[in-house]
Amino acid sequence: MSVQHDKPRNDPLSRIFTESRKERARLLLANMKKIAKQFRKSRGGMLGVCVLSFFVLTAIFAPWISRYDDPNDEEWARVNPDFSPPTLDFLFGTDHFGRDVFSLTWYGARASLIVGVVASLISIILGTVIGLCGGYFGKLPDEILMRLTDFFLVIPWFPLMIVIASLLGRSFTNVIIVIGITSWPSTARIVRAQVLSVKEKGFVERARAVGSGSVRIISRHIMPNVLPLVFANTTLLIANSIFSESFLDFFGLGDPTVVSWGTMLEEAYNWEAFARFAWWQIAAPGACIVALILAFYLIGEALDDVLNPKLRRR
Amino acid sequence: MRQSFRMYVLKRLIYVAVTIFLIMSFNFLLFRVMPADVTRILIPKGASNETIERLTEFYGLDDPIPVQYVIFLKQTFTGDFGESISFLKGEEVSSVIVTYTAKTLMLVGIGTALSIFFGVILGRETAWRRGKMFDRVGSSFFLIFYCMPTFLFALLILTMVASFSDWPIKGEYSADYQHLDILGKLADRGQHLLLPVFALVIETIATFSIITRSSLIDVLTEEYMVTAVAKGLRGKDILKHHAMPNAMLPVVTVVAMNVGWILSGAIMIEVIFSYQGLGYLTYRAVLSYDYPLIQVAFMLEAVAVIIANFIADLALFALDPRVKI
Repeated sequence: MSVQHDKPRNDPLSRIFTESRKERARLLLANMKKIAKQFRKSRGGMLGVCVLSFFVLTAIFAPWISRYDDPNDEEWARVNPDFSPPTLDFLFGTDHFGRDVFSLTWYGARASLIVGVVASLISIILGTVIGLCGGYFGKLPDEILMRLTDFFLVIPWFPLMIVIASLLGRSFTNVIIVIGITSWPSTARIVRAQVLSVKEKGFVERARAVGSGSVRIISRHIMPNVLPLVFANTTLLIANSIFSESFLDFFGLGDPTVVSWGTMLEEAYNWEAFARFAWWQIAAPGACIVALILAFYLIGEALDDVLNPKLRRR
Repeated sequence: MRQSFRMYVLKRLIYVAVTIFLIMSFNFLLFRVMPADVTRILIPKGASNETIERLTEFYGLDDPIPVQYVIFLKQTFTGDFGESISFLKGEEVSSVIVTYTAKTLMLVGIGTALSIFFGVILGRETAWRRGKMFDRVGSSFFLIFYCMPTFLFALLILTMVASFSDWPIKGEYSADYQHLDILGKLADRGQHLLLPVFALVIETIATFSIITRSSLIDVLTEEYMVTAVAKGLRGKDILKHHAMPNAMLPVVTVVAMNVGWILSGAIMIEVIFSYQGLGYLTYRAVLSYDYPLIQVAFMLEAVAVIIANFIADLALFALDPRVKI
């Protein structure tokens, strides 16, 4: 430790970065336990965790749960009846090709989770870097970066995604990229606001006085105070990404070879499942989308309560 | 110092103008500079040499990028957006876009008005009965609809209606529309508009009531509420005169921020119900790679959101004496 400074926040996470390595490991463990203990009290949060774990498990074990090793395999489709309502054989019925909706649904969880997590990561990294730079360096860089952020906040988000996706073309990676590069502005705003308030604190001043460089100040003193906010925001971002993914897929901008809930709905719509009252073809992926988004939303709310108690008056 | 309303409007207007200009430039950048092959984007596949020549001349594709930019700006300001390359092949974009935009405005306008009205009422009632049965059931419902993508909800309605009734589900009027009298025509249109509006309103109500509820709960836990109770005011009076005016301010801001969101919902709903507005146009244009149409639709959607935000800013300024910008 080169700098002795006061510990401005005693809440979880923020002290992890400020102690020696050994101490940090101990603190991390202790903090995690503390967060987990507080988190467990939230009923909504725990419900979210249960639902999320369910989908993570089914996504990992999709090949074993479902009857296909490869969801695009048409072998099964030829044998099965088309538009069969749910039976003991086909728990969620079959679709227009005679594919088993039960099997497809679990493969769909894979697509949603991967897109949700990776796209949010891209957007968090972009947003945090932009917010940190703007907030820390101030003046002209801040002005430019914040005008950019405002501009992207003002542009309606879905049309922008549609436009970029249609220019890039249909592929799984493109969906991730499009969602990642259109959803960073909110993170940038949150990070900047927090940086601005942390920057004025005494310990940053002191660090500068003993000769710490910008990189060190940002990584050791500012980041730890910004991360809890970003962390709680992440789960909401993932929920949004999953939402966007299903929408892009439905809009015909997703990868047609990857089974996802959005493409399942798109196909159900294009093959007029609604006119045959093939509700299972819509209800299965639909319920999963809502459940997964709801799970992330509930976890996010609970985390927000635990990590940023000061923001909540109630 | 609170500046005069006129100065405020002027400042906001300049801001709006600059943003719109930036969006046009962004549009140019996205569609003309970013793609590797601009001709793929602006000229129909398998067009005759004559057409290629005419369009190259029209867009100035042989000129350097800055000149193209000037040409683009001139065309945008005069409403000359080129022609559709596949979905409505050969038609002038500017002549088709107006009817589509008008239909979207109608859908979004009716939908927003209804959902603000009902959303605020529902949010108020749930916040007032916080923690009671009505609030718990109501809030859970809002949350589920809030997390449900609009297209999914619309698809569920479509499935129900298509399977159990003869209610029209596609387009804006029936096949025999031309043979109906004035009242019949109106009824027919209304019938076709009902489902899209319903889907949009339910989805948007959820958002607005969640916002109103949390904003009102914030206000209700303030200390001047205790004072009001201590003064012996009736519950209804407290709600109406003390809590709601303060709770409404964040609602106005958030409603404005959500205009883009409502528009996105409208896009999905138009697709599901084949309602021929901007969203449906975007959808068909995307499916047939009709970039000139996508470009204009995108610009109109962006400009609409900016103008809506501008109006909300003015409303907020008029409502809240504390706003100083």
